[in-house]
Amino acid sequence: MVTVDLKDLSTREANESIREAAARGETIEVLNPDARHHIGVGVIHPVDIHVRGSAGYFCAGLTDTPRFHIERNAGWGLADNMYRGSVVVGGNAGAIAGVAIRGAEVVIRGNMGSRAGQVMKKGTLLCCGNANFMAGYMMYGGRMIILGESGERLGEDMTGGEIFLGGDLVSLGSDAMETDIAEDEIDDIRAFLDRYEIPFRGSLRKIVNAGKKLRYGTPERQVRSIPYFNFSGDSGYWNHKVQEDVYIKSQIGRYRVRGYGGARELPHLSDLAFARDIIPGALGDDPVSRVRMHTLIGGKNGAKPLDLTMPVLIAPMSYGALSRSAKQAVAIASGMAGIAENTGEGGMSDAQRDAAGQLIFQMLGGRLGWNIHDMNRADGLEIYISQGAKPGFGGQLMAKKVTKELAEIRGIPAGIDLRSPSRHPDILGADDLVIKVEELREATGYRVPVSVKLGAGRIHDDIKIAVKDGFDFVELDGMQGSTGAGGAEVMEYVGIPTISAICEAERALASIGRRQDIEIVLMGGLRDGVDAVKALCLGADAVALGTAAIIAGGCIACMQCHVGQCVTGIATQDPEHEKRYKPEIEAQHIYTFLESVRWQIAAVTRGLGYDDVRGPCRDDLVALTPEAAEITGLPLCPERRDSGLPEINAAMERALR
Amino acid sequence: MCGIAGILLKNGDSGIDTGTALIDMLDGCQHRGPDSTGFALYESGEEGQLKLRFHVGSDNEAGDAVAALKAVFDEHGAEVIEEERIAGSYRVVVRFSGDLQKFSYAVEHAAKVVSIGESLEIVKDVGGAHDVDDTYDVHLFRGSHGLGHVRLATESDVKPEASHPFWATGFADVAIVHNGQITNYWKMRRRLERRGFAFATDNDSELIAVYLADKMNQGIPLKDSLASSIDDMDGTFSFLVSTRDEIGYAKDRLAAKPMIMFENDDLIAIASEEVSLNRLFPGRALDTREPPPGSYRTWSRSI
Ligand SMILES: Cc1cc2nc3c(=O)[nH]c(=O)nc-3n(C[C@H](O)[C@H](O)[C@H](O)COP(=O)(O)O)c2cc1C
Repeated sequence: MVTVDLKDLSTREANESIREAAARGETIEVLNPDARHHIGVGVIHPVDIHVRGSAGYFCAGLTDTPRFHIERNAGWGLADNMYRGSVVVGGNAGAIAGVAIRGAEVVIRGNMGSRAGQVMKKGTLLCCGNANFMAGYMMYGGRMIILGESGERLGEDMTGGEIFLGGDLVSLGSDAMETDIAEDEIDDIRAFLDRYEIPFRGSLRKIVNAGKKLRYGTPERQVRSIPYFNFSGDSGYWNHKVQEDVYIKSQIGRYRVRGYGGARELPHLSDLAFARDIIPGALGDDPVSRVRMHTLIGGKNGAKPLDLTMPVLIAPMSYGALSRSAKQAVAIASGMAGIAENTGEGGMSDAQRDAAGQLIFQMLGGRLGWNIHDMNRADGLEIYISQGAKPGFGGQLMAKKVTKELAEIRGIPAGIDLRSPSRHPDILGADDLVIKVEELREATGYRVPVSVKLGAGRIHDDIKIAVKDGFDFVELDGMQGSTGAGGAEVMEYVGIPTISAICEAERALASIGRRQDIEIVLMGGLRDGVDAVKALCLGADAVALGTAAIIAGGCIACMQCHVGQCVTGIATQDPEHEKRYKPEIEAQHIYTFLESVRWQIAAVTRGLGYDDVRGPCRDDLVALTPEAAEITGLPLCPERRDSGLPEINAAMERALR
Repeated sequence: MCGIAGILLKNGDSGIDTGTALIDMLDGCQHRGPDSTGFALYESGEEGQLKLRFHVGSDNEAGDAVAALKAVFDEHGAEVIEEERIAGSYRVVVRFSGDLQKFSYAVEHAAKVVSIGESLEIVKDVGGAHDVDDTYDVHLFRGSHGLGHVRLATESDVKPEASHPFWATGFADVAIVHNGQITNYWKMRRRLERRGFAFATDNDSELIAVYLADKMNQGIPLKDSLASSIDDMDGTFSFLVSTRDEIGYAKDRLAAKPMIMFENDDLIAIASEEVSLNRLFPGRALDTREPPPGSYRTWSRSI
């Protein structure tokens, strides 16, 4: 037996000792826990861990197979995301006990706090005492057993799974209902209780999802779609787009859900121009070889940074919105180009992991596909708070795309209209967020960067929180960013433009003197290397491309991503459609596109007179419109429209020919 | 964006000092708010005397503020008994027997008031619990009860006057620490303003303090004032309130903000996280309770 005494150790040191001992298969005893957070996170071996006292937040979180025995109480987020294994708590557990568990057995001898079992997927959460407000909130699967009182709104918005209640039912949540209980279910529960030596002679009732909410009754009819470029083209009050909108709404009686981003004219990087003419002579034949483009991102707090051959990343895009093949193509291309790919929501596949040189693993509120093993093989961890296309909203994946395989990775029932929650169960403010960041770091031994994806809204405040909560970098997304599926009104009208986002973020960080403590990766409507250099001029440390990469890989911009019958095989989970997609060929296209981005970044940087991508700055830009000047604070020089760039484009044509 | 803590000693000799206890509890949850730290401390004063604390800034600015305050004291018949300047703050004890609300609105015009009370003193500044203690000697406080707060600043700047706890402007001895956000802030504030109350900040915590103080002024007990606050306030909140003789808590119906408490024969301690409570009893597993959503409660010191 190994003894770890928290009286003498930092949590980090303690967790390292615990993981080492677990790897050797030893039983572990934790002394003087004193309700400290993150005890035993990240353990992936089947050992017994005895916590002699009370544990703080996220005890046993992000683990697989250990058996925890906590003598007294546990704080918020007990057994967060635990795969297999068990936790027995002698006293009470705080809020969101058993959050996002994926197979573990969690036994609480006392009471448990609010929202227990939120987004749990599999396994058993047993509370011998009383549950509290909204137990089973948004649960996707698994079994919850409450021997005492239910608390208010039991099973609120649950999608799947079962809740068994021994005590009084205070009230049911929306979309939950009582149903009959089968004999074998009772036998199973009795066996479970016996195994943990819990005497219970009372009777049980069963609560499940009523299936009235979270379903779209009327599917959107497929129409002969107009491509995005017509869709977003010619303004004016009445046009094809408005016509199509009205027509579809007359069929379905609700807002539209679609892919791509807003189609409204908004201030954009193209409203900025370079202050000086690009000097064609200075470009030479091969600007790429004459500009230092190598970029490290994420090393601010001692983690191993992402090592990029240019200041470009692939924007997070989910496996789910995109097909496995499309994700694979993007991953291959990112590897070939020496940049980083991002899983987006919905988990990591082996093919993607193998193909991508460097891969960021994204965690969203539904914790779909999130788990310790993939965290351990990621090169970066990212907490998604929101995205530019739909800041503040959750994800939507229509039933058509929720195939068996996809559901398995995500740990949810197949064939449901899946709404990912817009909020994290355990992040309700900056104060909780900092504890979550620390949990991810503790679980992975502080090895990889932890970033945050932020759709710009109140970015002035949010970016301050990001730096104060210790993120290594922020993936900052403006209103012009795209999505796989979102409500049309939200995409058009919610958020702030990408150039506003970066300028406000820069100002906010400067106002507290913390700009040097965090890196910014800007995205949302960036199309090429020219946009990228403008973003760098405004202060971004790197940029990310989403839509551009998808188009390079064959997307025809029909905006029907959400329907799931993508003719190109990109935004579908239907094998018949996906068959059309040739990942190796499209990977080559995406890679070739990325090389053109590289060339442009180098050429413009060189043309502006620098030999390092860190050179270009605000002095190199002017604004072409009053709005852009107001937003950026750059001088207004409409006369510079179209200046400078023709040389670059001509030179690029020559170079790429 | 913060962590809160409160303690009330039920009898004289528990072996625990309120100042030190609060420093330890806040140090335990400093991760929730590294920018500033504050304390509301209660120590019985002399009959007929008021303790006042102000932010006066530094150098000339401070000199002017103190001079302006003294003019107001003269005008309202407040006789200075003790005074002291510590960092950017000014502490003064006066003999006063007039209308406190009028007096406090008047001094508000001369300098930024931090607290006024017969026994309450609020100490708050940028930095951690130990930083603030180094400047203000919080550990010397031996009073019966107190509250504490750590803050992560977002909307407003990191300034001492924007930190917590908040005093209920115009009402002696009422202080509050709050974690969360009151979403019907302006509606509630306008209601109170129409009835003649003034606000020194735009902070929602001050609103809760004034709201409760107003109720108590109407003769409604603290406990019932807390009950109605849960009905009247929208948003997410866990807050602690203290008066000369009591402390209490209220928690919103959504249970979105943490709170945990420990009680024995000697004391009641409440905090955002159990780790703070455990700082009072290292190495011991405590029998703690999490207050249910929409609940409230008060405790009195033995007088
Ligand atoms: C098909 C698709 C799926 C997406 N999925 C995610 C996701 O899972 N997580 C996320 O943070 N952003 C997601 N996004 C948003 C992108 O990461 C990014 O914010 C946006 O696409 C950037 O703008 P751009 O497309 O104009 O380059 C998705 C976007 C698309 C087009």
